[in-house]
Amino acid sequence: MNKKERFYKLLNDNKFVFLDGGLGTMLQKSGLKTGEVPELMNLEHPEIVAGIHKAYAKAGSQIIYANTFGANSYKMAETGKTVEELISAAIRIAKGAVGEDVLIALDIGPVGQLLEPTGTLKFEEAYDYFKEEILAGKDADLIAIETMTDLYEMKAALLAAKENSDLPVVCTMTFEQNLRTFTGCSVGAMALTLEGLGADAIGVNCSLGPREFEPIIEELAKWTKLPIVAKPNAGLPNPVTNEYDVTPEEFAESAANLVKHGIKLTGGCCGTDPDYIRALIARLSKMEYVPNTPKSVTAVCSAERVVVIDQPRIIGERINPTGKKLFKEALRKGDIDYIMGQAIEQSHAGAEILDVNVGLPEIDEKAMMVRTVKALQGITDLPLQIDSTIPEVLEAALRVYNGKPIVNSVNGESGSLKKILPIVKKYGAAVVGLTLDEDGIPKTTEKRFEIAERIMNSAIEMGIPREDIFIDCLTLTASAEQENVMKTVEAVHRVKTELGLKTVLGVSNISFGLPNRELINCNFLQMCLVNGLDLPIMNPNVASMTGAVRAYRLLTNIDVNSVDFIKAYGAEKTPPTPLPKLPEGANHDLMYAVSNGLKSEGAKITEELLETTDSMQIVDDILIPALDKIGDDFEKGKIFLPQLIMSAGVAQAAFEVIRSHMVKNNSAPVVKGKVVLATVKGDIHDIGKNIVKVLLENYGYEVIDLGRDVDYQAVVDAAIEHKVKLVGLSALMTTTLGSMEKTIQLLRENRVDCKVVVGGAVLTPEYAESIGADFYAKDAKETVDVAKRIYG
Amino acid sequence: MKAMHDNFFTADITRIDRAEALRYLAYGGSSPDERILSFMDKCEKKLLKAVKGKFTFRCFDISDISDNRVILENCSLIMTGKDICSHLEGCAKAVLMCATIGNDVDRLLREEQVSDMAAAVITDAMASCAVEKVCDAAEDTIRNEYPNMFMTWRFSAGYGDLPIDIQKQFLEVTNAGRAIGLFANESSILIPRKSVTAVIGLSDMPIEKKRRGCAVCNLRESCLFRKKGRRCTDE
Repeated sequence: MNKKERFYKLLNDNKFVFLDGGLGTMLQKSGLKTGEVPELMNLEHPEIVAGIHKAYAKAGSQIIYANTFGANSYKMAETGKTVEELISAAIRIAKGAVGEDVLIALDIGPVGQLLEPTGTLKFEEAYDYFKEEILAGKDADLIAIETMTDLYEMKAALLAAKENSDLPVVCTMTFEQNLRTFTGCSVGAMALTLEGLGADAIGVNCSLGPREFEPIIEELAKWTKLPIVAKPNAGLPNPVTNEYDVTPEEFAESAANLVKHGIKLTGGCCGTDPDYIRALIARLSKMEYVPNTPKSVTAVCSAERVVVIDQPRIIGERINPTGKKLFKEALRKGDIDYIMGQAIEQSHAGAEILDVNVGLPEIDEKAMMVRTVKALQGITDLPLQIDSTIPEVLEAALRVYNGKPIVNSVNGESGSLKKILPIVKKYGAAVVGLTLDEDGIPKTTEKRFEIAERIMNSAIEMGIPREDIFIDCLTLTASAEQENVMKTVEAVHRVKTELGLKTVLGVSNISFGLPNRELINCNFLQMCLVNGLDLPIMNPNVASMTGAVRAYRLLTNIDVNSVDFIKAYGAEKTPPTPLPKLPEGANHDLMYAVSNGLKSEGAKITEELLETTDSMQIVDDILIPALDKIGDDFEKGKIFLPQLIMSAGVAQAAFEVIRSHMVKNNSAPVVKGKVVLATVKGDIHDIGKNIVKVLLENYGYEVIDLGRDVDYQAVVDAAIEHKVKLVGLSALMTTTLGSMEKTIQLLRENRVDCKVVVGGAVLTPEYAESIGADFYAKDAKETVDVAKRIYG
Repeated sequence: MKAMHDNFFTADITRIDRAEALRYLAYGGSSPDERILSFMDKCEKKLLKAVKGKFTFRCFDISDISDNRVILENCSLIMTGKDICSHLEGCAKAVLMCATIGNDVDRLLREEQVSDMAAAVITDAMASCAVEKVCDAAEDTIRNEYPNMFMTWRFSAGYGDLPIDIQKQFLEVTNAGRAIGLFANESSILIPRKSVTAVIGLSDMPIEKKRRGCAVCNLRESCLFRKKGRRCTDE
């Protein structure tokens, strides 16, 4: 039996598996100074490291974590040693220190930098750091990824492990007493995601003592069928003395309380030493291992939010360009904020999952999908449903998704099943199966049911759990195939009751080509819900549709005591702030709305004006003068930043109305010129840049917004692709001014024919000149002035 | 020897100092109108839900201050520059403190920048106030811990000539990543964004008050007064 098989035997035996205790704190006791690199001890004092491993093995630990926790090339950069050197030494030391019967784990901790979207470390970069460690640790017997607080980082490490090694992987994360990690990851989200990705055991380590572990382990046991790991600290530290408050005996006693929740692998983390492990083993040896047997649940999640599909859940359909001119235009321009706006609107309206489809023939769908998924993760905690017909697009999205998503979709064609299901399995997603195949959409209920069954069987054969298979029986439009409407409803009913699978259905198609679509949609939705529809894909912004789902939950006693319903509709309406009385005259009104920050009024007045006035006239005669006046007042210190931006927001809303009016009438909105904007590489301060963006758009410029922490080359590429005459760069830190300079250099080296305007609090006009910028702008207003000089 | 662990404190922030937020928004002496004020109320409510104030600190004996550098007992972090030396002059100990209001605020700011820039700008200023309050709470705790010593004010990396690129190691020696989830990126920007690290000196003797100027203000990188060539103390 090789070591890997020995590990699986340990997992399968009906006994506890004992891990080791704290290593870092033991090294500190042996003289490691605060801030010194523990992994250097592998080269400088291997005997100390070996001594600690020996002591744990002697205490009874069956698995020893090698001294590799922080041995990634980011953290080790300043040591002058390579990851390979440090890790191979660590594994060698551990193997030499203990007998053949003890297994050695390659220990992998966090990189030491926060990942996107909060931090600047890219998911792909984190993956590369972990990959390097995993390759260096190939001689270990298993991989233990631990102390993670970011599910995204954990996913990068686990993927790197699965793709670059065939060793078993044990994953543990660090939670606070509120059952969340620092980054907000919930216990359920961890379990759903890591089990899907193929971890061999999952659990909790560090931060808290065994007593505080109990609620976390109890929660975890509800969500996973995998063996559970518990590696607590020696109690809670006294924050001032830094000393732990739990003795080995107390530690063992509290750990014994975790047994009833199904812990399988257990040991200690910070503050524990071989005495704790000895006491733990002595205590647990008197007990029987109780395997965890949770009820199976159907759920999807983001890192922060788990959506259990035990009742109808609304999937928002709006992130989809089909039949939407403005959306298509946004995709072509790469206007990610437009898509984000759609997400926020649906989320506020009551969507519980968001469908994401960014397919348009003329764009790079894969790149756009990755960008969209990453951006959505930064602004919403709703789980996503990845919607594409192209397997490569689906895989790219699943890779960067943080949580357990739904794949939309596979169908009964053998080609589709063969291509899509392995991806779904690899990334642990749920999947929507469409009841169509080579012969198209079957007319009969029976045939659709058969396809559903076929999809189910293929998925199960692939190893996808039954509860993760959702079936879409396909809505046909009532205007074209009225006689088949009920076939869909019947198929939903049969799939739900006979196959026991969850059902999905795009509802809105039913009314295509009919008047009063809302009425048809709403009634069809209710019919389907009654017949077992779990996941309506619909427009949550239509109040009657979302209302129908809420009412259904109330009437079926799912929404017990009508709590959610009352929360949605019962709250007392706060009286709107009384508006200052509008003076006479429509033109004047819009100007008034802009200068007083009245956004919805501004949009409404614009709509009315468009009935009688040419759109360009509204822009030139009202909006621009109003903005000029506001900008002027701001410069003179008569108004302040919040008012300036509120006014800009009103103008933006007015422009939106004008733009969609023009697009509807097939006239292209006039663009005065295009400007690329970016917050430079390494910098994450983007408020200033976004203010500039709003103002530039107000004045009719099209902004290609590259976001923050933007690679030098990305700026060059965008400037060339969009043929812009002006690039705006923002940096807020002295440490990122260098990035600004490098970006400008690269633009010049590539002979990009454009001017560069720079801004940011630490910049001065002199510095701007010294790094080769053409213009310095002290605020958003001045940036507009620069744009005017260039484009007129 | 004391071991290094995951020690942290929480600071409940229940309100935002309105006057200070307005100062950050460069209002100076002017007071905003009713609309802005009620808008600020809304922003504050959302922000307070997202704020999770946390801080941690570690106290080191100062073993040497000379040659423009400060060496701490049993600690690998060496702070350089004349300003930190002058800040810690006469002090026996240096407390390294880290404070943050957490990740959720970053998310809220991202969301608001998409849905409502005016809210984003106001929330950003209020969040700066909130993290200062967490620092104040940290200072109170430190004061209680060392009741017989005199404290300097908070001196941060990047002030004066103390290099900002010590941030990564500062967080390392305070174990701030594990304790309060605070990290720095490669440009030494603290993440979550609304976070502070600072050095407080502890002395057995009263400390001479030094004037705090812009060079040593946390907002110096984004100050709206400085942008206009003024100072908040001018008004």
